[in-house]
Amino acid sequence: MSATTALPVRPVLHAEWIKIRSVRASFGSLLSIPLVTVAISLLVGATVGQDEADSLGPDRLSGAFYALNFGQIAAIAFGTTTLAAEFHNGALRTSLTAVPDRTRFFLSKIGVLGFAALLLGQAATFVSFLGGQALMGSQAIGLGDEGALRATVGGGIYLALMALLAAGLTALLRSGVAVLSLLIPFILIVSFIIGDMAGGAAQYLPDRAGQLVLQQDPQGSLGPWAGLAVTALWAVAALAAGWAALRRRDA
Amino acid sequence: MKSIEIHELTKQYGSTRAVDGLSFTVRPGRVTGFLGPNGAGKSTTMRLVLGLDRVTSGTATIGGRRYTSFTHPLREVGALLDPQAAHGSRTARDHLLALAVGNRLPRDRVDRVLEETGIASAARKRIKTFSLGMRQRLGIAAALLGDPAVLMLDEPANGLDPEGIIWIRELMRRLASEGRTVLVSSHLMAETAATADHLVILGRGRLLADLPMNDFIDAHSRARVRIRTTEPERLRTLLGREGRLLLDAGDTGWTVDGIRAEEVGALAAREGIPLLGLADERASLEQAYLDLTAADTPFASTAPSVRQEA
Repeated sequence: MSATTALPVRPVLHAEWIKIRSVRASFGSLLSIPLVTVAISLLVGATVGQDEADSLGPDRLSGAFYALNFGQIAAIAFGTTTLAAEFHNGALRTSLTAVPDRTRFFLSKIGVLGFAALLLGQAATFVSFLGGQALMGSQAIGLGDEGALRATVGGGIYLALMALLAAGLTALLRSGVAVLSLLIPFILIVSFIIGDMAGGAAQYLPDRAGQLVLQQDPQGSLGPWAGLAVTALWAVAALAAGWAALRRRDA
Repeated sequence: MKSIEIHELTKQYGSTRAVDGLSFTVRPGRVTGFLGPNGAGKSTTMRLVLGLDRVTSGTATIGGRRYTSFTHPLREVGALLDPQAAHGSRTARDHLLALAVGNRLPRDRVDRVLEETGIASAARKRIKTFSLGMRQRLGIAAALLGDPAVLMLDEPANGLDPEGIIWIRELMRRLASEGRTVLVSSHLMAETAATADHLVILGRGRLLADLPMNDFIDAHSRARVRIRTTEPERLRTLLGREGRLLLDAGDTGWTVDGIRAEEVGALAAREGIPLLGLADERASLEQAYLDLTAADTPFASTAPSVRQEA
């Protein structure tokens, strides 16, 4: 099998898109990425408002992306459910009968998934930022403020990377339930607790590292883009492990 | 037209040899029945042909090429393995559409196969609402999607109603008569007898038989003649001299084992015994099959029960 034959081709990418949009759990969680993020941003903007702007913390930039804590759950759910759909009732066998080159199949699926998550992730961060800040009156920051554009673009990339991380883990473990019950508690609890306790090493956790891109002035040794790159490495590692498992195992 | 070529195929799962040095060829233009007890390796062989499971050794090819080397495999081979192997929350149409688009098949093929398999009215329903019979039809629709020259169907009659069973029987006959290669596994002997021209029979991963259906039945039919006569006592004495026993078969007359109709006819004619009916009794496919697989004792003695189909 030469390298070029395994690359995604347009028909297979199109087929993978049809598969995403035709399963409610996948398509619903994809749409939830911007819906949840924007809804919570508007809610926070409207309720916290100008008077209590400080309650979101001293860093007003990362405060503006508070809703990403929830948007990332939608991104993880999207990555997980899209891959888990293949391990449901042995649907993978039908998929591999249609596209027997497993590398092409995996790259096509990951490509469509990543592109969709990136597109809706960017929509989520831009609309959230602009909409949320519109309610903040005199306390508002704009895209022109220092680090704001970087945080908005980086936040969208972060959402796509979390979807890809979840997708890679699902291909490896072949179970959406396993991945969701691993990643969501990790992000909601473990990372939060370790993050406060362990200091230096904790900034390399996938969620902590990536969220540095949202901060005005990240403390510690990682810069905002370096942090996002660490998250990208986690995602690539998970995808590589998922790809290896898919290639090696009997379907 | 293309054949399915299996050569020295072996598949080992842990310490179990599901398929063990298997060689046979499935040729075009006829329906090949693929028989064997549960766990004999039929489904595994089909999965190995499709590249879903990795072969331990040997080759499985279609027209000389590995399945995984096809760019548009659904145009070459149509397969029905497991009718449940579709995501339940997709509609039947979307399920087929994704398969068609990925293999550069025109979209109207989707509507065509939905019509052909009789599930067009359920095309926009979710697959999880389908009965087993409807899922089976959807699986057959997917197999027919690319108008392939080679078809591999694992238990296609499973879950179908009587009308559906007649339909699938006629479909397979038609596909073979169009010159396609058709391999069909089944546990239903009457169905196989009504559709297959040729048989490939496995037992514990090995080839037990690969021959035309008629030859198989003849080879496993013990010589037995069925007779109706008005003078059974004279016939009994006559056959007794030949060392044969006339057995009472009740309303249907008499039977004699170990002799053929032409011999009985000649004997009776010489003695002037009137015969009202005389025919060789032929084993059914079921009898012949059970005869063969029961004789497969070297394997039966090493493992007391038959492994479940994986």
